[in-house]
Amino acid sequence: MSEDRKFRWVGTRPIRHDGIDKVTGRAQFGADLSLPGMIWGKLLRSPHAHARIVSIDTSAAEAIDGVLAVVTATDLPDDDPKVADLARNILAREKVLYHGHAIAAVAATSAALAERALDAITVEYEVLKPVLSLEAALASGAPILDEARRPKDMEDTGPTNIAARCEFSRGEPESAFAQADVVLERSYETQMVHQGYIEPHACVVQTKEDGLIEIWCCTQGGFAVRSLTASVLGIDTSRVKVTPSEIGGGFGGKTTVYLEPVAALLSRKSGRPVKMVMTREEVFRASGPAGGAKIDLKVGATRDGRIVAGTARMWMEAGGFPGSPVQAGAMCIFSPYDFDHLFIEGFDVVLNKPKVAAYRAPGAPQVTFAIESLMDELANELEIDPIDLRLANAAKEGTQLPYGPRFKAVGMIETLEAARAHPHYAAPLGKNQGRGMAVGFWFNNGMNSSADVHLTEDGTAVVVTGNPDIGGSRASMAIMCAEELGIDVEKVRPVVADTETAGYTDVTGGSRVTFATGWAVIEASRKIASELCIRAAKIWDCDVEQVGFSEGHCLPVEGSGLDHAPLSVADIAKQMARTGGPINGQAQLNARGAGPAFATHLCDVEVDPETGKVDVVRYTAIQDVGRAIHPSYVEGQIQGGAAQGIGWALNEEYVFDEAGRLENPGFLDYRMPVASDLPMIDAVIVEVPNPTHPYGVRGVGETPIVPPLAAVANAVMAATGVRMQSLPISPPRLLERLLGAGDV
Amino acid sequence: MSTVAIPSSLRVHCEHHEFIEVEGGSVHAVLAAVDARFPGFRAALGDSFAVAIDGEVFQDALYEPVAPESEVHFLPALAGGI
Amino acid sequence: MQAGFEQPRTIEEATALLQKHGDAARPFAGGTDLLVQMRGGMRSPDILVDLKRIPELGQLEIGSDEIVIGAACSTASLRENAELVRLLPGLLEAAELIGSEQIQGRSSIGGNLCNASPAADSVPALVANSAVCSVAGPDGRRDVPAAEFSTGPGSTVLGSGELLVSLRVPRPAPDAGDAYLRFIPRSEMDIAVVGVGVALTLDADGTCTAARVALGAVGPTVIDATTAATALLGGPIDTAALERVSEAAREAARPIDDKRGTAAYRKHVAGVLTRRTVEIAARRAAEGN
Repeated sequence: MSEDRKFRWVGTRPIRHDGIDKVTGRAQFGADLSLPGMIWGKLLRSPHAHARIVSIDTSAAEAIDGVLAVVTATDLPDDDPKVADLARNILAREKVLYHGHAIAAVAATSAALAERALDAITVEYEVLKPVLSLEAALASGAPILDEARRPKDMEDTGPTNIAARCEFSRGEPESAFAQADVVLERSYETQMVHQGYIEPHACVVQTKEDGLIEIWCCTQGGFAVRSLTASVLGIDTSRVKVTPSEIGGGFGGKTTVYLEPVAALLSRKSGRPVKMVMTREEVFRASGPAGGAKIDLKVGATRDGRIVAGTARMWMEAGGFPGSPVQAGAMCIFSPYDFDHLFIEGFDVVLNKPKVAAYRAPGAPQVTFAIESLMDELANELEIDPIDLRLANAAKEGTQLPYGPRFKAVGMIETLEAARAHPHYAAPLGKNQGRGMAVGFWFNNGMNSSADVHLTEDGTAVVVTGNPDIGGSRASMAIMCAEELGIDVEKVRPVVADTETAGYTDVTGGSRVTFATGWAVIEASRKIASELCIRAAKIWDCDVEQVGFSEGHCLPVEGSGLDHAPLSVADIAKQMARTGGPINGQAQLNARGAGPAFATHLCDVEVDPETGKVDVVRYTAIQDVGRAIHPSYVEGQIQGGAAQGIGWALNEEYVFDEAGRLENPGFLDYRMPVASDLPMIDAVIVEVPNPTHPYGVRGVGETPIVPPLAAVANAVMAATGVRMQSLPISPPRLLERLLGAGDV
Repeated sequence: MSTVAIPSSLRVHCEHHEFIEVEGGSVHAVLAAVDARFPGFRAALGDSFAVAIDGEVFQDALYEPVAPESEVHFLPALAGGI
Repeated sequence: MQAGFEQPRTIEEATALLQKHGDAARPFAGGTDLLVQMRGGMRSPDILVDLKRIPELGQLEIGSDEIVIGAACSTASLRENAELVRLLPGLLEAAELIGSEQIQGRSSIGGNLCNASPAADSVPALVANSAVCSVAGPDGRRDVPAAEFSTGPGSTVLGSGELLVSLRVPRPAPDAGDAYLRFIPRSEMDIAVVGVGVALTLDADGTCTAARVALGAVGPTVIDATTAATALLGGPIDTAALERVSEAAREAARPIDDKRGTAAYRKHVAGVLTRRTVEIAARRAAEGN
């Protein structure tokens, strides 16, 4: 249970432990490691978006001097159905399903030679018509990506590009709409976008003579890479060791594998360590972006602003293989609101685009763009302040979620009230400016975490976990350990360890590390505190019940009758050997009760009416974080998520030509915002403690990307009177609407 | 008796009941009891699902205790993570 | 991405090297376009001929009639010359839009011209200011107007063994003003969807006596929009003139649909941006009176 206590370190802002290495360039990222004898691997990628592979001839490439290994899908086993799609995404087998789909790999003594050797591989394709939009994928007579696939939970009507269907329902929405004074029925669309992490995927893999595979790579989870690589290669998990490097961003995109199993095969064949590094173009074409979506939404409300019913049907792009986050989207769309009658249906749709991966609150930004745009329209229609409309329907403790359970304490109302009280909400607007607001919800996740805390002989501590530090988690782990042991945070060294050193831990994702791994650190640190009491009892020759631990010291409990000066952690650490040996604390858990996080965002834009260019001129992001362990990194997460969401709203989109080739596979033409595009994003922390967690922590990292798409669109509406129901709100699209179709 | 809420997509396997009362003790026991009454439910739910016990969501918690007065919701697995 | 590297000290040495190696050689100044193209596999020259050690390519002279800018002068070095910034603010605005602070330590206006991108920012400003290119080759020197230097995307008038030595811009009169604006969906680090360079002269009554309007990114090469310029001549820069020049620019633009914008959008923005650029140039010219 969340404890009411006075903290010494929690809520402070110490310099991150990895900071100096990062600002001096000493930190080692994925592509930085080189090993003796290392060679370079490169992938041959499909020039077609949809084709059957007739034959692959690698003999000419193999014959080139300096080429030490060539591999194709036939070098991978094909007997584990759980990774059949993953293996086919890594190296295409029967078909290529998107332009850039990897089909063969070469390892050679230089990167340039490997690149040239790719040209010597001959692939015969039977080119098929590509499926490049949700509409095309669902059309009757559409080319089918996988003839054998039949979706679960749907009537079998023959081959389809629908890979899965999900549904959530409650009450009688259709008859409830009759009770509504206003019913809005709208359709919304978003495009495929990329996370845009700065560091491309990279790894070095060494397959040793005994078959053991050692992997150094940038990833959100060493254990995920271990497990997926072992499964794809059909070997025991214990035969793979993964050492995660520092990571230059992931946002969900580095929770799977692309290069590692291929590099392992190349290393096995060549007997050399193999380095593979994606180019930026490969990252865009063939890693896992977030899919586009279409959402049909209907909401009915009474004149006084109470929602009575809502229905939603949504389709999300999965890319070449199933697995869009449509179910998460379906579970999120109505979660901020409390009403009785609803029906939600979601479809996972395959098409000839890259296989999507997780992207920060997967599925939620797309559906929240829909519901929060509609809520804005509803507020205008009913002439109710948009914050009041949301307050009138806000989910709170006890509200039943569309997918069944009831909320425990959540901070939706608190963030709305903080937004209304913020000076931003009442600030005057200039010419061509408009203000929009939107809320966002994300579940957050718990999952499995381990932590080891080692006490050193001078009373400092080492915290070992297996979670790559993306958003400042080392600092958070150190703060929680320091809080429990009552020692200075600088005296704690947080370590991100390899898969043979750290206990099993799930990926750095799902906004779970500070919550779940942090919880394990707290538990492990408490075990050390308990052990310190045992040692103090030995020193004082008393019962352990007579010893308490407070603020970094063992001291006699009140009423124990003992009269000893308190012993500090360092005092006892010095006597570790003579009181029983090393002092280590270990804890592991499958963390339950990840507290959902709500946010309210306020956005002001200025629109150039002659060009359609939108500038975000003020932005305030208010979020319930439960408890901020290190406020700077909480604010950083909030600002980063808002920035990505603004990019998604304004200019980011995958642009494909008619053959399915991505036309903008680089940061020049894939227009993420640059620093000068954005105002300073004001991150406002609201703390409604998560009742499950010892400190009240909720996940933070994902929710901030959920509200901005609608917040920006609503601000554009306020500035121009034009409601954009299709993203991105790029200058040509907005100008077309501003001038009326035909003029532009 | 514990209350089990049936996800709407699985009600077809449970004679369209929204809620079912069963003897439980653990998630595993609750599942077995539902499946005994409505054979095929367990298979339809699949292997990976989350469960909410009195509003608290657990991932992969087959052996978590379930009190007699508890309400249990089975949630289909969150896809799209990997 | 491997290539030989030559570092000639004179123009004669450079032209001889370029002629000897033909298409296998590529002139190299800052490399801010070339190195990116080599990494991207778009060009793979065998020999890079570094031009930065040739003194004439690094000169910067502000004469009483003419301003001479060496083809390899870095953008940063131009920005540091206060007199140049005062005389040709529009040209400098254009140059400053190319690349980040770090890139501008190596990028050059000459390189921007030779790269022959239809969207090159400095070229409309050069054309508007009636710049002339000094070209050296095995047969000696020749002059080419900046407006004619590029012959299409990625191609120029440079023949075998020829290189761009410098750009010569007539020194603007005190009552002249220039300006450059580009439209991008972001605030920086982007490529022009439309770029407009304008130079004009106003007499003491505010009558426009000379004007040149050049449009970038709306055709295969920069468009010297003479009809737009004509629309300004002989009268004041008033609302009617702005409307005329805007319309003429829209008509002169010949854009294509691509990932950076539709043709219709670019035509529209060419008109809007031309009006705004003329207003700035006119204000600058009026300040000189």
